[in-house]
Amino acid sequence: MPEAMLELKGLSRSFGGLLAVSDLSFTVEKGAIIGLIGPNGAGKTTVFNLVAGFLPPSAGEVLLEGKDLVGLKPHAVTRRGIARTFQIVKPFRNLSVLENVTLAAFLRFPMRRQAEAEAARLIEKMGLKDKIKFSANDLTLVDQKRLEIARALATGPKLLLLDEPMGGLNATEVDLATLLIRDICADGVTIIWVEHVLRAIMNTSHRVIVINYGEKIADGTPQEVVENPNVIAAYLGKRARSHAAD
Amino acid sequence: MRFILILVALAALLAAPWVITDPFYVHLMIMVLMWTLLGASWNVLGGFAGQVSFGHSAFLGVGAYATMILYLNLGLSPWYGIVIGGLAAAAIALPIGLVCFRLRGPYFALSTLAVAEIIRLVALNWESLTNGPVGLLITTLPPVTFAGVPVDWESKTPFYYIIAVLAVGSLGSVAMLAHSRLGAYLLAVRDDIDTAEAIGINTAQVRVSALALSAFLAGVGGGFYAMYLRYVDPDAVFSIALSVEMVFIAVVGGLTTVIGPLIGAVFLVTLGETFRSHFLTGHLIFYGLFMMVAIRYMPEGIWGRLRLIFRNRSGVRNA
Amino acid sequence: MIGVGLTIVFGVMRIINMAHGDIIMLGMYGAFWAHYAWKIDPFLSIILWVPAGFAGGVLVYRFLLKKIVPAGELNTLLYTAGLSLFIANLALLIWKGDYRTIKLSYAIMPLRPFGISVPIPLAIAFVMAILVTAGLYWFLVYTDTGRAVRATSQEPEAAALMGISVGRISMVTFGLGTALACGAGVLLAPSLYLYPTVGEILVAKCFVIVVLGGLGSVPGAIAGGVLLGLAESLGAVYVSVPYKDAIGFVLFLLVLLFRPAGLFGEGKS
Repeated sequence: MPEAMLELKGLSRSFGGLLAVSDLSFTVEKGAIIGLIGPNGAGKTTVFNLVAGFLPPSAGEVLLEGKDLVGLKPHAVTRRGIARTFQIVKPFRNLSVLENVTLAAFLRFPMRRQAEAEAARLIEKMGLKDKIKFSANDLTLVDQKRLEIARALATGPKLLLLDEPMGGLNATEVDLATLLIRDICADGVTIIWVEHVLRAIMNTSHRVIVINYGEKIADGTPQEVVENPNVIAAYLGKRARSHAAD
Repeated sequence: MRFILILVALAALLAAPWVITDPFYVHLMIMVLMWTLLGASWNVLGGFAGQVSFGHSAFLGVGAYATMILYLNLGLSPWYGIVIGGLAAAAIALPIGLVCFRLRGPYFALSTLAVAEIIRLVALNWESLTNGPVGLLITTLPPVTFAGVPVDWESKTPFYYIIAVLAVGSLGSVAMLAHSRLGAYLLAVRDDIDTAEAIGINTAQVRVSALALSAFLAGVGGGFYAMYLRYVDPDAVFSIALSVEMVFIAVVGGLTTVIGPLIGAVFLVTLGETFRSHFLTGHLIFYGLFMMVAIRYMPEGIWGRLRLIFRNRSGVRNA
Repeated sequence: MIGVGLTIVFGVMRIINMAHGDIIMLGMYGAFWAHYAWKIDPFLSIILWVPAGFAGGVLVYRFLLKKIVPAGELNTLLYTAGLSLFIANLALLIWKGDYRTIKLSYAIMPLRPFGISVPIPLAIAFVMAILVTAGLYWFLVYTDTGRAVRATSQEPEAAALMGISVGRISMVTFGLGTALACGAGVLLAPSLYLYPTVGEILVAKCFVIVVLGGLGSVPGAIAGGVLLGLAESLGAVYVSVPYKDAIGFVLFLLVLLFRPAGLFGEGKS
């Protein structure tokens, strides 16, 4: 069995009295694409925030290649090899596409010339080559998402956390994006992917984890998950569950 | 092309005191250069890093007092004193940063104001060190020779060259900063501090570095100020007015640009000093007026706007 | 009273008005000239200057500030700082930098309630300030406009949804803020030295008060003012006289660090 890239053990986070993430545990193998799905408000983005160091957990461990990340600040987590994109894109609006990605590339290439070269390489890979000098603010949403991914990749991550990259894309764009994600995986990056566009995530993921109300309710191949009555219930309500059980 | 322009400018700078001998104009040039230095120092923190500080006079003052005290009490030559003044300013910047960087945006700005005021009051009252409200006075500067010729401290010319070197040096270091990784990181922190963290930038370290450099330059400026005016007192040197002037010069000139402070200083200081010589007071009125105009119509400053015009015309990136 | 004006301006429009101190200065000068030129008792001239302050504030907001607000808090801060410098220097030009004072015939002997010596002009100012604050409180709580002001200060978006014209309320609020400052200036004029740059120091103290009590909170501003006054006086006695001004700033920093919401306010995320 391939070694674990990421392991969550009993991860919990509460806000006041509300338990946003509850005793969450799962493993992500190296080189896999793992889908993370669940109804709105299930706590998916909170999980990302916990893993990436933006929020401290109330309990539990986050192990990257066996080493605990809990307590590290976000930039340290990034240095260890986890990169993330945001649900609402956050480019550096006042800077150009090249500058955006170069900033991230500086993590591995302290000299400007090399950082820019690496940035240019990734920008071309993401299909943004002719917009390389554009201000990030002037890009279309799709291109901003591409920029966000290019920037994340520039930090040379082992694990990439994608937060709803398909949001707002049309069918063609979704297909293109799916190819891109497979491409990134082929380059050796492990991916955890939160998504609502189920078609894309089911076709591409090796494994899917389903969360509801902060708890894991399913963990298996896309096929297994789709047929899981708990999952159906979570998405559609109790009536559908009893219906499926007939 | 740009290299040639810089050489020409430097040559003009060197030659100026030979050509222009009217003491008022020499004084004006000295002031412009000094404020360029101070504006550039503020710009490192406020422009590039986006952390607007209203308390920079604290660093100026510390540099000024350090230089003065070292000279008067220990006889340390001001040329070393100015550098040590800068280092002293950078040193106090660290605890200040520790306290103030927990805040953001306008709150950070107000907190720096508070800190500067506290330092002013401390300086006012710690008489054994600073002589309190009476201030410190230098009557004679150390005898120095330069290239075999004894320096005449009564004339303004030596001061001109000193500040010219300091100002050019500061602009040069800012230019190097802008091109470096740290400079890029500063712009990221300015734009969106959380996203910057997400791509691996240690924002705390970056901000502190900017603050230290900024404080150092301001402290050096303060040291020069002390030597040129030969007198410091807490209300003059730690005043809100000085902090505010630094801000205005940088903003009107152009944040996040290297040359901005120079343009801002040329513009504002010239107007201000000329006005002051005729009307004796109220010269900061232009600062206020131009700040309002700038924020309303040209938030990127004079030089920033010029750069945009160049960029749109030629489609090529400039400095 | 100054603090209340500042806090509602901030609360409603997220404007940090650095020029507030200079408006106070204008109020002080207004009272001075009223007394000097027209022989009106300065405390009475408040009737003239407060509405003038209101009008002035409304105009400034409408024509100058309104365009700047969308550019962000920091930009408005810089802008009002520019305005402050402009007004102060204009005053310097017109009125010269000498210190002036207002001498009132009935102000020579201080009152002595409970063995504490209170100068009469200060006492009158205190009483009037309480009256004004009470009036303001009544306005904010019991009138429609006042409630609209409070609503906008707490939740601008919700207020807009409820049909409150945010632009108009902002204008009114700013005018109120300046009116209060102006009035405060008039009240203070007989008790302090007058000079054009007095605004600088006052505005700093002002912010301390407002942050202590909580930006955006009216009772907070009042509490803040009282607290600062107490802290300074106590500090003068127990710590040392010259450092009493510093106490306010130290408190300011402490509050900003540990309790940015202040005592009563909602603070800012």
